[in-house]
Amino acid sequence: MARKEPRTETMEINHRKVSFPEGVTVHRAAELNGVYIPSLCSHKDLSPFGGCRLCMVEIEGMRGYPLSCNTVAQEGMKVLTDTVMLRELRKEILKLILSEHPSSCLVCNERTECQDYQGTIRKAGVTTGCRFCPNDGQCELQDLVEKIGLTEMDYPIYYHGYEPEHDDPFYDRDYNICILCGRCVRMCQEVRGTSVLAFTYRGPRVKIGPAFGRSHTEAGCEFCGACVDVCPTGALADKVSKWDGKPDGCYVSTCPFCAIGCQIELYHKNGRFSKAAANIDPEVNDGQLCVKGRFCLPEVTHHFERAKKPMLQKGNYFREVSWAEALERVAAELKGIQPDEFAMLVSPDLTNESLFAAQKFVRDCLGSRNIDSTARLELGGGLGLWSKLFSLPISIKNIAQADVILAVGLDSRFNFSVVGTKVRKALDRGAKLVTIDPRDSNLARYTDDWLRPLPGREGLLLKFFADSLAGRITDLPWVAEETTVNVPLLERALEILSSSKDLAVIIGPQVFHYDNNEALGDSLMTLAERKNTNFIPLYFGANARGALEMGVFPEIGPGGMSSRGQGIGLEEIVNGSKRLKAIYLVGDIPFFERPDCDFLIVQDIYLPPFKVDAFLPASTFAEAGGTLVNMEGRVQEVVQVENPPEGAVMGFMRPDWRIFADLANSLKGNSMNYKTSQDVLREIRKTVPDFPARLGRKPRRMKAIDHPEIHKPTVGKTSEGDFLLVAEPAGYRHRGIDISSKVGGLGELALEEGFRMHPGDIDSLGLKNGDRIRLSFDNGKVSAGGAVRADVECPRGVIYYTRPVVFGGLKHRRELLPLYILKQNPIRVNVSRIGT
Amino acid sequence: MSEDGLTTIGQEFKGERGDLIPILQRAQDLYGYLRPDAIRMISRWLKISENEIFGVATFFAQFRFHPPGQHHIKICLGTACHVKGGEQILTIATHRLGVGAGETTADGKYDLDRVACLGCCALAPVVAFDDKIYSQMSVLKIQRILDGQKID
Repeated sequence: MARKEPRTETMEINHRKVSFPEGVTVHRAAELNGVYIPSLCSHKDLSPFGGCRLCMVEIEGMRGYPLSCNTVAQEGMKVLTDTVMLRELRKEILKLILSEHPSSCLVCNERTECQDYQGTIRKAGVTTGCRFCPNDGQCELQDLVEKIGLTEMDYPIYYHGYEPEHDDPFYDRDYNICILCGRCVRMCQEVRGTSVLAFTYRGPRVKIGPAFGRSHTEAGCEFCGACVDVCPTGALADKVSKWDGKPDGCYVSTCPFCAIGCQIELYHKNGRFSKAAANIDPEVNDGQLCVKGRFCLPEVTHHFERAKKPMLQKGNYFREVSWAEALERVAAELKGIQPDEFAMLVSPDLTNESLFAAQKFVRDCLGSRNIDSTARLELGGGLGLWSKLFSLPISIKNIAQADVILAVGLDSRFNFSVVGTKVRKALDRGAKLVTIDPRDSNLARYTDDWLRPLPGREGLLLKFFADSLAGRITDLPWVAEETTVNVPLLERALEILSSSKDLAVIIGPQVFHYDNNEALGDSLMTLAERKNTNFIPLYFGANARGALEMGVFPEIGPGGMSSRGQGIGLEEIVNGSKRLKAIYLVGDIPFFERPDCDFLIVQDIYLPPFKVDAFLPASTFAEAGGTLVNMEGRVQEVVQVENPPEGAVMGFMRPDWRIFADLANSLKGNSMNYKTSQDVLREIRKTVPDFPARLGRKPRRMKAIDHPEIHKPTVGKTSEGDFLLVAEPAGYRHRGIDISSKVGGLGELALEEGFRMHPGDIDSLGLKNGDRIRLSFDNGKVSAGGAVRADVECPRGVIYYTRPVVFGGLKHRRELLPLYILKQNPIRVNVSRIGT
Repeated sequence: MSEDGLTTIGQEFKGERGDLIPILQRAQDLYGYLRPDAIRMISRWLKISENEIFGVATFFAQFRFHPPGQHHIKICLGTACHVKGGEQILTIATHRLGVGAGETTADGKYDLDRVACLGCCALAPVVAFDDKIYSQMSVLKIQRILDGQKID
């Protein structure tokens, strides 16, 4: 969409002629022209606030000292930013700000010596000197004091004496250091639309926090960390890297946790990856992240349970061995078996390089067709449908330009947050939002029309809208009755949708995981092929699109070429229809128990929860470079941050592609001669026709793969029961583990735990929050138990639970095992209480 | 909670952001204070988060977040009352009731407030007990009033 470029105007800053785009503030105009005006509260994404008053300037013809951050720059303005008077004023203002801020690190006499002699050598390392701010050395306020040249304080220091807040996961808050610049509050309210943070009380008692002194968790915090990123002081700090000190540097990389592919900055200290922060990348995330990308990365790669050494089952013992021995043994085992007796399962969280090397290893080196990926489970509805969806011009960025947004089954708090911020941006520009979601969600809070159908009937509504917009005849009263949505609400939604000139349709992952949605595929395509429609299908599994392009499925080869004949895939392994001699699991463990085979090889970053014959330790996103394909088709780079020498201390992890190459060399010699990930990339470019020659991060449209869908057999009969049980896809997956099992904070939030029910339903069953319940279906032939959790967001009469694809880490998820035989979702169940 | 009350209030407004303060005032009239569940309903309706509403409401002295006590004690600390020892009277009341100014006793019986002037400076120091004004108060007199109240 062509947008009008703002006009360029000129003005004079410090007697120099500068030009700036129309409509920006004086502060921004100066910034764009490289003139520094001190400020603590202004931020490019936030509304002008005028809180710190440090950015005052002199403008010819204007009375007093206007603030540059909330004065719009005008043609011909004459601005002075650094006069003697301004300097004096700024000094005084800064002193006033500091009179409520512990300032020993800023103006202390001993400051220079203190820095030099802080580390004292004794038997144990001791730090002397003041250490109450985690931001020492990387603090905007400190920098400003230096720049303004403040060396002494005339005002008495008022110390608030607030208790530092450590109760919530992921970040600590010490409001004694807060200078009330309001960046976090504006970020939370304007950009994120979460509004957890607000200024409370007034005068000297002003403090930032949620209502009624609640914890952030209770107040509905998404833990996106945007507030931490904009805080100019150390008031808000990551728990994980709080006392690491100033990082040595950072790399811009791609978040490996979901298919949005946000650009992140990976900071490192002493060669170790220390923390992640959002990168201001206008293409995808524009400085925003979700809890996974912001806080969960370091713990996933540095967790103490990380498996770092190759291991082999030797007799009764599971032993650590050298790479040479492990490779030799695995190669020997693989040599002895027929291609048809072997199968490999790969994770959609691997990089393109690793996926490509995996399929090449299986197809070329072992001559087998049996390679499959758990991406199949994440891409509900079939790979054919998804290849069609990927052939659409998907654009996350353009959601912000839509005038009407239709969001189906999307809750952008903890997953796909970046999509949520774009929706928010569009709404700020006056867009209308129609939400289809049986569950209450954060989007339902600011929606214009919230349709709350029975779970599983979203597809019907979508079909209705698709047909109506395409001008086909539809039966509104029938649809209203089937979906239990009010007719007026439906009419209103239709009115909003048909008024759209620029429609964005966002389909949450849940929608693809219902099994009774035969019409879904057609209606999605009808909607998507409508003119001026930006269609965004969401799924878990970061590189599932890459998996489709690299061709790690029995029926699909590299470049979407359908390979002839049927190989053995996930389904056959799960239902055990053919017994295999060797199974090779790369990344994901889609089983509760060891699959039946003679030799089981697992290549992963954590040990699986069952006995294996060979374990090969793989590198994580921090230790190996590579590329990922996001949902728009952008090929984006994952940058290697850590390069530890192989050894007993740092471990023996190797990139997945290298392990395949090593194995191939032990088997056949030199058939996969890869030295670096670039070598693999080169070969991908040769083999996969659509793969870009340069990593330009451009969105691409995939060629739709035309291959017959394997239709899931739909179970005809409907079971009886008082409640509807809905399985939700799990969002915290990464390479075979549930992230929440490794990241303490995410475990604490326990977002995906238990059977979630409306508190009213829990009461009516005579239960309490946390009680254990038993669900039975099919007249009690099958049953499963677990804890119940009150969740006001659930509709009445519905129970939600999370059905994970990968099972690493969380032992109690085994309780859900009986639910896996259910082909139906949603399904009617009866609920009873366990015990008395 | 009577949701009807709030719903009736809702009908008088358009549901715009700017209606927040009048709605809060009406809600406080209805329940005597701003109940968390009332704030939740208002939040849903105006599409403003509870935290933002709390931020706005705590800025104004007129809003309260606890049920009002049965009796309202206002101790004047205006210029005249201050000069004639209002501060000591407040201290005594604070000690006797075990709450600070602006708070309500745990049994919900008394609200203690300090006010700037009750407009009868000639009678200073002044204490208002519900609607009754007690003039020329002393440390002893306030104790007597509180004793008397505790008896009945």
